Amino acid sequence: MNLFRKIVLGAAVLGFMAGGTAEAANKIVMDGSTTVGPIAKSFAAYFTKTTGVQVTVSESGSGNGAKSLINGTCDIANMSREMKDKEVAAAKSKGVKPVEHIVAMDGLAIVVHPSNRVNALSKAQIRGIYNGKYTNWSQVGGPNAAIVKIQRESNSGTQDSFKELVMGKDNPISKKAETQASNGAVKNRVASTPAAIGFIGLGFVDNAVKAVMVDGVEPDERTVKNGTYPITRPLFMYTNGQATGVVKQFIDLKNTPEGKRMISELGYVNR
Amino acid sequence: MNLGTRKILDRSFTAVGFGSIAVMGIALLIVLVPIITNGIGSVFFTGTIEHRNMLFNEFGRGNREELAKENAASEVYRKQIYGMLSAFEAELETMDSEKKQDYLSKYGPVKTALQTLIGPLPGEAEAILTRYKYGQTRWGKAEEKLHEFLYETRWDNSNPDAMAKEYFVSQATEFEGTSLVKLFPFVEEHLEDVLRPRFTVYWGFLTDSSVDSHIFGGIWPEIQGTFFLAVGAMLFAFPLGVIAAIYFTEYAREGFFNSILRSANSTLAGVPSIVFGLFGLAFFINTLKVSESKSVLAGSLTLAIMILPTIIRAAEEAILSVPKTYKEASLSLGSTKWNTIMTVILPAALPGIITGGVISLGRAAGETAPIIFTAAVSVGSAIGLADVFSSPTPALSWNIYNLASEHEAAAEIRHVQYGMVLALVSIVLMLNLSAILLRARISKKLKG
Repeated sequence: MNLFRKIVLGAAVLGFMAGGTAEAANKIVMDGSTTVGPIAKSFAAYFTKTTGVQVTVSESGSGNGAKSLINGTCDIANMSREMKDKEVAAAKSKGVKPVEHIVAMDGLAIVVHPSNRVNALSKAQIRGIYNGKYTNWSQVGGPNAAIVKIQRESNSGTQDSFKELVMGKDNPISKKAETQASNGAVKNRVASTPAAIGFIGLGFVDNAVKAVMVDGVEPDERTVKNGTYPITRPLFMYTNGQATGVVKQFIDLKNTPEGKRMISELGYVNR
Repeated sequence: MNLGTRKILDRSFTAVGFGSIAVMGIALLIVLVPIITNGIGSVFFTGTIEHRNMLFNEFGRGNREELAKENAASEVYRKQIYGMLSAFEAELETMDSEKKQDYLSKYGPVKTALQTLIGPLPGEAEAILTRYKYGQTRWGKAEEKLHEFLYETRWDNSNPDAMAKEYFVSQATEFEGTSLVKLFPFVEEHLEDVLRPRFTVYWGFLTDSSVDSHIFGGIWPEIQGTFFLAVGAMLFAFPLGVIAAIYFTEYAREGFFNSILRSANSTLAGVPSIVFGLFGLAFFINTLKVSESKSVLAGSLTLAIMILPTIIRAAEEAILSVPKTYKEASLSLGSTKWNTIMTVILPAALPGIITGGVISLGRAAGETAPIIFTAAVSVGSAIGLADVFSSPTPALSWNIYNLASEHEAAAEIRHVQYGMVLALVSIVLMLNLSAILLRARISKKLKG
C-alpha cells in the first residue's frame, strides 16, 4: 500500500504542475532564422499576452525553418532569405504550399572590433577579405594585423544573403573563414577578437562591435529603408498556404502600430 | 628491490595519489565556485526600485502603498534630473544652428544612456517591449551603466600599425559651458536615491515565467520542461532497459546472435548524442509523426533511446552480481524461473538497477543535442501535463546554450544564464543524491 500511496502523491504533484495552463487549445509553433528570432520572440510574447494563444519559437536557422515547414512540423517558418526553388519543389511534392510574408527589412551590418581603425569598406574590399585576397588589415587601410574572417553555417539565411549580395556567384568564401552558428555567436566572437570581421543582422549590433560604412553608407534605419545601404534584405515568415485563423492574426501583427513599434525598438526596419 | 627504494616508491605513489586528488578538487572548485556564486546572484542580489516596479506591474507582487511611497521618494530626484534635461533642451533652442547640431548629436547618446540607467524619460512614447519600460533592475548592472553614462569610450588611433587603445572621456567635459554639465555629478551622487538599491531575495526566479525573452522574470518553464523530458525519458527507458537486461542475463543463450546484440548495445552507448537528436527528428517526428511539431513526447523518446544502453548495462551488472546461491535456493524450493526472477533476483538487484536509472535520469536532464531538433524551443510558456504529447517546451540545457550564444542581449542577462546553470547542476546533483539515499535504504531493508 505504501508504494501505491507514493504513486498517488507523485500523480498529485504532476497534476499540480499541469494546472493553470491546461486549456491551450490552439497554439502556434515557429521555427527558423536566428535573425528573425528577436522579432518572433517579441511578437510571441505580445501575442500570448493579448490573445492567450501559446506561441513557441525555436531558433535553429533559416534552412531548418524551411525543412520544418516542408515536413509540416511548424506553422510559421522564420527565414532571413527567400525560399530556394529546391525547397519550394520539395514542399510542393509534400503538398505544402509555402506563402511568403515580409515582416521587416534588415541591413546586413559588417562588424569589426571597436579598436579597429577601419571605419569604411567598399563592397569589393569586403569581397576581397572573404575570398582570401586580402589577409591583413593593412591592405584595406587598417592596422598591421591578420584578418580573422567569421562566417555563418551553411544552414543560415544570413550566410546565403551575404553570398548573394556581397560575394556574387563565382566568388566562394575562402575556406579559411571561421564558422559560427548564430548572429549572437558571431557578435561575441568579433567583440572578443580585435582582428575579426563578421556580418550580422542590424538588430544585433550594439556597443561591443563596430558596424562599418559600406560603399560610404552607414547602416541605419534610414539607409536600409530607402535602400541606399547596399546590403539590405527582407526578412520573411513563411506559412503553409494563405495564413488563416490565429496564424493570420499573428502574421498581421507586423502591420499593426504595436508590431511596427516592436520591430523598430528591436533595431529592425519596417517596410 | 631493497626496503629503502620500496619505501620511497610507496611514498611517491601516495604523493602522486594525493596530488591528483588535490588537482581534481581544485579543478572542481574552479568550475563550481563561479557557477554557485553567480548562480546564487540570480536569486539573491541588490535590486533597485525598477525591479520592484517590474515585479508589481508584470506579476502583481509587492505592496502597492509602500511602492508608491518609494516611487514618490525617487521621483523627487528624478524631477531634478528631468528639470536639468529640459533646461538644456531650452538652452539648445537659443544656440545657433551649427552649435545646436553639434550638441544634439552628443545629447542623443547621453539621453539613451540615462534612459537605460533609470528608465523611460518623460515626454517619450511608452515602449512596447518590456525591456525598454524599466531602467536597471540590478544595482551591479546599474553601476556599470553609470560608468557608460558618465564616460564616453573613445579609441586612440595614433599608432597606425596597431589596434587602437581604449580610453574614456568624461561626458561632463563634452558639455562644458552648458547647463547640462551639472547633470553628470548630480546623477553620480544621487543614483542611490533615484534607484534605491536594496538587498532582494527573488525566489520568483525559480517559479516565474520569463518576461520579454528572459530579460526579466524567471526560469520556471525551463525547469518544468527539463523535468518533463527527463521523467518522460525514464518512463520509456527504465522498463524497457530492465526487461532487456533480464533477457540478456537470464533467458538469452550464448551465441552469435546474442553477442551481436550485446556489442550493438555497447556501440549504442558510445554514439554521440547529436546523432540521437537527428535520428529522433527523422524517425519520431518525420516518419512516425508522434506529434505535429517538436514535442516533449518526441524529445523524451529520443532521450530514452540515448540512455537505454546505459540502463541495460547497469541493470545487467546488478543482476549478475546477485549471488547464484539465491537463485539456486529459490529454484530448489520448486519456484518457477519467472517467479524466481520477480521475487528473488530483481529485489536483490534493485539498488544497482535504480542507481543506474537515476544516473541516466541526470544525463537525460543535462543533454542538449538530442532535444534541439525534437523538443526544445527558445521561448515558450510552461506547458501543462496535457500538452506533453503535442507541445515543445523550453528546457534548461538548451536555453543555457541559447542565452550564451544566440540571444540578442546575451551580455545583459548573464545572471539568468548562470541561474539556469546552477539550477541544472542542482537538479542533476539532487537526482544523484536521491539515488544514493534510495540505494542505501533499499540495501538496508534487504539486509534487515
